[in-house]
Amino acid sequence: MKLYVNLRYLIVPISSLITLFGIFLGGIYAWIGVILFGIYTIIDTVTKDIHLRAETDDDGNSFGIKQFQYLVMYFMLPVFITLQLALAWRIFQYVDSSIIESAYFAGFAYESGINTTNLIGASLSAALWAGLGIIYGHELSHNKKEGFLVSRLIMALSGASHFTYAHVYNHHLDLGHQDDPATAPRGRNVYWHTWLSHIGQSKFSFDMEKKKLGKQNKSFLSFDNRWILGYVYSLPSIILFVWAGGLIGLLALAAVWVIANFLLEALNFMGHYGLIREEGKPVEHRHSWDNDSVFTSWFFIEIGRQCDHHVRGETYFWELDDVGGPNYGIGYFSLFVLTLVPPLFRSYVKKHLDNWDQNYATDAEKVIAKQFENKNLIAQVAS
Amino acid sequence: MFGLFTKKNKDFIASVNENSFEVKVIKGKTLLSSALDQGIDWPHRCKVGSCGSCKCKIISGKIKPQIDFAYVLDQEELDAGYVLACQSELKSDIEVEVIFKNKQE
Repeated sequence: MKLYVNLRYLIVPISSLITLFGIFLGGIYAWIGVILFGIYTIIDTVTKDIHLRAETDDDGNSFGIKQFQYLVMYFMLPVFITLQLALAWRIFQYVDSSIIESAYFAGFAYESGINTTNLIGASLSAALWAGLGIIYGHELSHNKKEGFLVSRLIMALSGASHFTYAHVYNHHLDLGHQDDPATAPRGRNVYWHTWLSHIGQSKFSFDMEKKKLGKQNKSFLSFDNRWILGYVYSLPSIILFVWAGGLIGLLALAAVWVIANFLLEALNFMGHYGLIREEGKPVEHRHSWDNDSVFTSWFFIEIGRQCDHHVRGETYFWELDDVGGPNYGIGYFSLFVLTLVPPLFRSYVKKHLDNWDQNYATDAEKVIAKQFENKNLIAQVAS
Repeated sequence: MFGLFTKKNKDFIASVNENSFEVKVIKGKTLLSSALDQGIDWPHRCKVGSCGSCKCKIISGKIKPQIDFAYVLDQEELDAGYVLACQSELKSDIEVEVIFKNKQE
């Protein structure tokens, strides 16, 4: 049981390594990260009705091995760095117009040089799997020791190092309230949410550093400014891609960052869309959506157990459980596809929001929900 | 020399509000989680170091902070010895003061 509980969370590490290997191999294999994403979407949809509880021994202790899980999460930092290096190498070959031919490295055959189509595949593959770094960046943001720095560095690879601070100090505190940029109010679509949430969290981190440094009588332009430092951590990626491919390199990195941040904000979007919490009231299970179908749970290292996570923020992912909170009933991959088509998503989520209003919301939360409903109606009439 | 073979005490005791009661804090756990595990209604809200609800004042002893408290506590509070219980492990036995909403004493 112990082995099974710990090994089942290795889907992303193994898939990331396969994606990396695909980019190294080149040719059509550069697309393997995209293909895996598609396959996993199908698996997640097919297994949507399988839900498991957190397993414990007779004494109620989790089977999760902390040292092993942390080793895996830390190991993902060099994996994500290597993924960027591999993409940069391919961009360098593309810009350099390297001849496309078979070559050998340590006895392994690979395709040297890359055409435009396969470079797009490599960029998309790298972007999708770099974006999934959020699951480790998120988990480690709740570890206040060395894990916090690893979280910052993983997020910096996607230009989102501010997330680590904003998630803990803003999202966990202001969840379900308009002060939380990561909570999407009813009526917003995932595309608009991505920009608003990203900028809002960065601004929060900016303001928080300004306030802290002010209290310490230090200049904003200081090595103690962790908002600035977060962007400094992203500089090596920018330098690498500019060096590898100039403008094309920069465009590729921009694509990686946009896609990675879109995935990050899509997770925030799906985790709390339309849920409401009265200011000052405690965060409870009803203020998050659970997505805990089996494949989502294993793939996203239980990040879908938002209801439990937001009440027990200090709890390791392998200990999180189903707490009977609001649940979409489908996994993240399936729901993500729906979010890409906003009218489809709104249509799907309506019955779940109605259920939330009737069975979970307090009277005060119902009043706020009604205000949103009226505001959206007015906006629809106006347009 | 024999001290090398003596198992160091990894658990510490937090004596709360002038010895009103004690909280046993085992290695790797925070003051807040230990208090809650022992059924003490220690004030708290987020448990991740962002709200400041669990703040308490260290009178004596040493703690190991898991985060920079300066994001949540004022400089005056830091100077006065305030810490966040949810982000504090213990490095020694401590004496601590905390204000309970409903009198715990």
